[in-house]
Amino acid sequence: MFVSSYRVTKFALQNFWRNFWLSLITLSMLLLTLFTINLLLVLNVVTDRAIALVEDRVELSVYFYDSTQETTLSSAVAYLRGLSQVRDVEIISADEAYQQFIQRHTDDAQIMASLQELGENPFGPTLVIKADQVGDFEMIIDALDNPQFRDSIREKDFSDYQSIVERIQSITDRIQVFVIILALVFLFIACLIVFNTVRIGIFIHRDEIAIMRLVGANNWFIKAPFLLEMVLVSFIAVGITIAMIYPALILIEPQVDVYFGSQSAGLFEYFTQNGLLIFGGEFLALVIITFVSTGMAMKKYLKV
Amino acid sequence: MIRFKNVSKLYPPNVVGLDCVSLHVQPGEFVSIVGKSGTGKSTLAKLLFAEERPTRGVIEIGGWDITHIHDRDIPLLRRQIGVVFQDFKLLQKKTVYENVAFALQVAGVFPRRIREVVPQVLDIVNLGNKLARYPKQLSGGEQQRVAIARALVHSPKMLIADEPTGNLDTLNSREIMDLLKKINEFGTTIVLVTHDREMVNRLRRRVITLEDGKIISDVEEGRYKL
Repeated sequence: MFVSSYRVTKFALQNFWRNFWLSLITLSMLLLTLFTINLLLVLNVVTDRAIALVEDRVELSVYFYDSTQETTLSSAVAYLRGLSQVRDVEIISADEAYQQFIQRHTDDAQIMASLQELGENPFGPTLVIKADQVGDFEMIIDALDNPQFRDSIREKDFSDYQSIVERIQSITDRIQVFVIILALVFLFIACLIVFNTVRIGIFIHRDEIAIMRLVGANNWFIKAPFLLEMVLVSFIAVGITIAMIYPALILIEPQVDVYFGSQSAGLFEYFTQNGLLIFGGEFLALVIITFVSTGMAMKKYLKV
Repeated sequence: MIRFKNVSKLYPPNVVGLDCVSLHVQPGEFVSIVGKSGTGKSTLAKLLFAEERPTRGVIEIGGWDITHIHDRDIPLLRRQIGVVFQDFKLLQKKTVYENVAFALQVAGVFPRRIREVVPQVLDIVNLGNKLARYPKQLSGGEQQRVAIARALVHSPKMLIADEPTGNLDTLNSREIMDLLKKINEFGTTIVLVTHDREMVNRLRRRVITLEDGKIISDVEEGRYKL
């Protein structure tokens, strides 16, 4: 068995080298397929990160009248924190709101003059509410209509980040559909090329195969080199992809990170943490695809 | 060794390859199957190494009923039968040694055993001094001897030679026939399919004559009559 396996491997390697240009075309096609699939993954990571970042920034500011009692405010905070949709409630006191306003408009002489003219702190306390999901804000806004404190609320300010998220989602969905179609097209072409590579391989080795049959080689021994050759091509394709993708991520990640401010898109981290799963899965998928294509070609052209 | 019981082979739509052929070949016999082109000689040979399946009848080789042999068992059968063809069927990119060794390699024989056996077999066919030559560097007769060596390398109980002298001149044909006789003397059953009158007449062994897929004569120490 060991001797036969060694010889099958040797024949597979011979097939690869003897049909080098054909093998190279097959390899290129598999590489293109893997490239588009990994591009899809990169796109997914960036989109998820972008949406998470936007969602993290979504907040609802609830401004109370400056006359609002401390107990009313406390009961509002307790009530909101009790809601499962609420992730965090930050309290900004009237003084803090005043100081923040001054800091923001310190260069605007007109505003500062108006503030001085008032002579007192015009701001009331503010609650800054963060939700688990953007869609939860609608329910939180409804919940604020509580008779215990609704009359103390002067204003509610909710920036419509939902539409931004939806736009990001919509654009990336469309890009994803395009990339998926592209990947499927490449996959289909890859299957055809594998099919034809095996077909030509069978044609080139027809004399050898006929003699193998004549002298009593079993079917496995005749077919295995073709299958193994395609496994080898798949392995090289995944190997090259791995060798290219990590340096590429190191190069592009700083460019992508620019759009995430101080945070990272986490592309390299994602591919490092899930490398085995991603590339193992891709290798397995390629092996299955090449096995099916090779099997079909052998069934059609290799009579043993 | 070989038993055909009412074997027929029909090819669609209605071409008769063999028509109700029955024969029995003893171990160690040298049998020539003769007949005009298209009389079913090659069909009979193909049935022997399971290249074709009979439409009707029973075929036994060494007590093994191969009538409905399963695909996975064909390699086992072929390792017990050596086959030689008119066109030699040698791999042109392999040397004499490699061509013979190839038959053992595909059967999973260990390299040490291959290194022992191949030169021995090539000595039997008098090519021990041409191991490193390529087929195109050999004469037709020598190429056929390489093919015979390859057929013998599994130490088969039976050797089927389908028109082995068809591409050879008289001198080379005689050499091949002498070699087949020598192999037969070692105990290997030989089935020679031929239409070479002179060779058959020189042999003076059993001759089975086919016509239109039927056996019309089966004579010990026969001659080519057609």
